[in-house]
Amino acid sequence: MSDALIDGYARALFEIARAEGNLDEVEDELFRFARSYESSDALRAALTDDMVPADRRQGIVESLLDGQATSTTMQLVSMVVGSGRGRDLPEIIDSLVARASASKDLAVAEVRTAVALSDDQVSRLKAALTNSSGHEVNLKVVIDPTVIGGVIATVGDSVIDGSVRTRIDQLKSRL
Amino acid sequence: MNLIAAGDIDPAQSVNWLLPPLSELIYGGIASIIIFALIYKFGGPAAKKGMADRTAKIQAELDGAAEALESARTEAEEIRRAAGDIASERARLLAEADEQAAALLSEGRERLAAEIADLEARAEAESAGLAGRVGDELRVEVSRISSSVVDQLVAETLDDATQQALIEDFIQKVGARS
Repeated sequence: MSDALIDGYARALFEIARAEGNLDEVEDELFRFARSYESSDALRAALTDDMVPADRRQGIVESLLDGQATSTTMQLVSMVVGSGRGRDLPEIIDSLVARASASKDLAVAEVRTAVALSDDQVSRLKAALTNSSGHEVNLKVVIDPTVIGGVIATVGDSVIDGSVRTRIDQLKSRL
Repeated sequence: MNLIAAGDIDPAQSVNWLLPPLSELIYGGIASIIIFALIYKFGGPAAKKGMADRTAKIQAELDGAAEALESARTEAEEIRRAAGDIASERARLLAEADEQAAALLSEGRERLAAEIADLEARAEAESAGLAGRVGDELRVEVSRISSSVVDQLVAETLDDATQQALIEDFIQKVGARS
């Protein structure tokens, strides 16, 4: 899918969410759904299989998000999957998150940890990243067991890696 | 004879029943001599010629027989010589066949030995390659397993307090950056 198409879909989702008045919530839900989509082979296979009818794929999305997300989020994901753009869902959502953050003059900061962060930790980490990057950040936390321990933070093109995973990899490469 | 046939001949007359009268003997003798002379004169040459021809014919037959005998002897000699040649040819062919067989056998043995050596070399190379591959695969597998084990061991040793400590450490370090 071309960048123009991805940007087009992201702009459409952004405008719908903003029109619905729940941009922040929808953006966060979409971000979490995108990460779940990336980490689940079965979900990816189900939503990108061209042999599965569009209404069936949409049914899968609705059954997954029903009660777990706002109806706006559910309908937006359903629309993208139904139009056969399931493969590009993470990119579309990331573009939407970047657009939403830019509209609030925020930089997207993706943080990956092995365990969930407390609200206090999120707050302090957000402040730390803002201080470090010199820019207010829109913090997105992803629970990723492959990190094993510690934190990996990505702000724009900068990556701050304090993960056990990377330390182990470095140790292995030295060995 | 007339005296015998005639019954009226005087038996007192002296007549030899065996010998003819003298005159008959004389005339007969002369006639016989003349006849024999004529026969000798006119038939002798022909008889001599016939005898000579017959002698020549017999001689020719004898000569022919001698020639035939000689020819048969020559032919027999040639046959014997040919038989000898056949025997020597047979011996030569057998010797040649033995030589060729020996050469083939030797060549076959050499080729077989070369093939065996080649097969052994290839088997050794394959064995070495296989050992190398197995060793590489083993090393990769050990590395993969050890990597997995290391990940698992580290993950298991990271209790909640350690996890929180790592996160706090990260927050402090990032906060210290400006």
